[in-house]
Amino acid sequence: MIHFKNVTKTYPPNVVGLKDCSLHIKPGEFVCIVGRSGTGKSTLAKCLFAEERAERGTVEIGGWDITNIKASEVPLLRRQIGVVFQDFKLLPKKTAEENVSFALEVAGERPKRIREVVPNVMRIVGLGDKMHRYPHQLSGGEQQRISIARALVHRPKVLVADEPTGNLDTVNTHEIIELLKKINDFGTTIVLVTHNREVVNKLKKRVVTLEGGKIISDVEEGKYKL
Amino acid sequence: MITVYRIGKFAFQNFWRNIWLSIITVTILVLTLLTVNILLVLNVIGQTAVKTIEAKIDVSVTFTPETSTTLIGNARGYLLSLPQVKDVRTLSPEEVLRDFRADNAGNPDVLASLDEVEGNPFGGQLVILANNPEDFDFILEALESPEYKPSIADKDFEDHQVVIQNITTTFDKIRTGGIILGGIFLLITVLIIVNTIRVAIYTHREEIGIMRLVGAPNFFIRAPFLVEAMLYTLIAVLVTIAIVYPTISLIEPALDAFFQTTPTGLLSYFTANFELIFGLQLAALCIINMVATGFAMRKYLQV
Repeated sequence: MIHFKNVTKTYPPNVVGLKDCSLHIKPGEFVCIVGRSGTGKSTLAKCLFAEERAERGTVEIGGWDITNIKASEVPLLRRQIGVVFQDFKLLPKKTAEENVSFALEVAGERPKRIREVVPNVMRIVGLGDKMHRYPHQLSGGEQQRISIARALVHRPKVLVADEPTGNLDTVNTHEIIELLKKINDFGTTIVLVTHNREVVNKLKKRVVTLEGGKIISDVEEGKYKL
Repeated sequence: MITVYRIGKFAFQNFWRNIWLSIITVTILVLTLLTVNILLVLNVIGQTAVKTIEAKIDVSVTFTPETSTTLIGNARGYLLSLPQVKDVRTLSPEEVLRDFRADNAGNPDVLASLDEVEGNPFGGQLVILANNPEDFDFILEALESPEYKPSIADKDFEDHQVVIQNITTTFDKIRTGGIILGGIFLLITVLIIVNTIRVAIYTHREEIGIMRLVGAPNFFIRAPFLVEAMLYTLIAVLVTIAIVYPTISLIEPALDAFFQTTPTGLLSYFTANFELIFGLQLAALCIINMVATGFAMRKYLQV
C-alpha cells in the first residue's frame, strides 16, 4: 500500500527531517509512528499527503509514485488519503454536518450524494445526534470525531492521524483510538503518528520508531520503547 | 453546474464578510469610471463648442472700391461652383461702410478718420461660408487667380483660427489632465484590488487550508477570488451608470442653453453608444481587476 524507499528530507538551513527512511505498509495495516519531538514523525506523515516532498528516494501509495507529484494532482491524492490533526482544523462558523459536507462540496460532489453520505459517516463516528451543533458546542473528543468524519467522507484507502489525541483527555483519547480501530476493521489503512506511550502500548499494533529522522525499529505488535 | 454555484456562493460570502472593504473597493472603481465618463462628456462638449464656433466662421473678401459689381458677381459665381463652398453673400460698398461704422461706433478716432476721407473708401465684399473650416485655405487660394487678385483689397480669417485653436488647446489640456487623473485612479484601483484580495485570502486562510486538506481542486480555491473581483467591477459599472445618467439629464439643458445653436446631445450620445461605452468600461475594468487579483493570488495564495 505505502512504500517509502530511502526517503530523505531536510529543512533549511540543515535540519534533518527524514534520513534514508525505508518503510512498507501493507493494505489494511494499523501502524503507529512514534518518536520524540522533532524526530521526523510529522515529516513522514506530511510526505504521505504531499504537504512535504522528499528530496531523495521515492514515496509510493497504491502503486502511485507521489515523490514529485504535480500540484494539479495533489487534490486527487488528498481525496484518497484522509488526514486528521491534533488541532482538528474545523471551521467554527459551520455546524458539524456542514464541516463534513464541506469536504464533499469543494470536491464537486452532488448535493444528493452529500445528503446520503454525511449522515452515514456521522453515525459511524457516533455523532448522528449532534450533526447540527457547532464545534464550540462539542467536547474536544467530539470535535476530533467530526475531523475524522470529514476525513472519511471520501472513503479513503489510508487515514493519516497526526497526533489525533494530543489535545484530548484520557477518556476522549480512548474513544478516538477505539474509533480508529473500528475504521481499520472496515479495511482502511491507518497511520497513527503519536508520542502517547499508553495508546501505543494498549493498541498492540505495528510500531515504527524514529530517531533523528531515521527508523531505528519496526516491530509487529510493538511497544513504545523510548 | 453545482461547482459554478458553489464558487459563486463563496465569492458572495467573501464580498459580504468584508463588506466595508468591498464598499471602499467599489467606491474607488466608481471614481475611476466617473473620471473616464467625465472625459467623455468633456469630449462631447468640446466637439460641440468647436462646431458652434465653426458654424459662425466666415471669410470676408473685400474688393477695391474701383472693382465693378460684375467682377464681384463673377467671383461669387466662381466661388459657389467650388464644392468646398457652402454659401457666398454679397455686400455692396454701402453695406460694408455701414457695417464698418457700426463695428467702430465706440471708436471716435476711427470714425473721424473715416469722415476725412472723401466718398466711400470701401469696395464690395463677399462673405464666404465653407462646408469645412479647413477648406478656407483652399478657397482663398482659389481667389489668387490673376483675374481676381488685383481687385482684392483684404481677406480676413486669422481671428477665427485663433479662437478655434484656443478652444482646441483648452480642451486638449483638460483631456490630458483627465487622463492623468484617470491614470492615478487606475493605479489606486489596482493597489486597492490587490489589497482587498490579500485581506480576503487572509480572512479565509483557515478555510483555504481546509479546502486544500480535503482535496479541493486548485481552481475551486482560486475561482471565488476572481469572481469576487468581477463582482466588484459589475457593481461599480452599475453604480456609475446610476450616477452618470441622472447627472447628464440634469446638466444637458444648461449646456444646450449655453451653446444655443448647436445642442450637445449628451444624453442621446450616451444612449446611442451605451453598449460601447459601458461594455468597454466593464470589459477593461474586468481585465484590470482579474490581472490585479491574479497578482494577489500568486503572491499571497499558496495552493
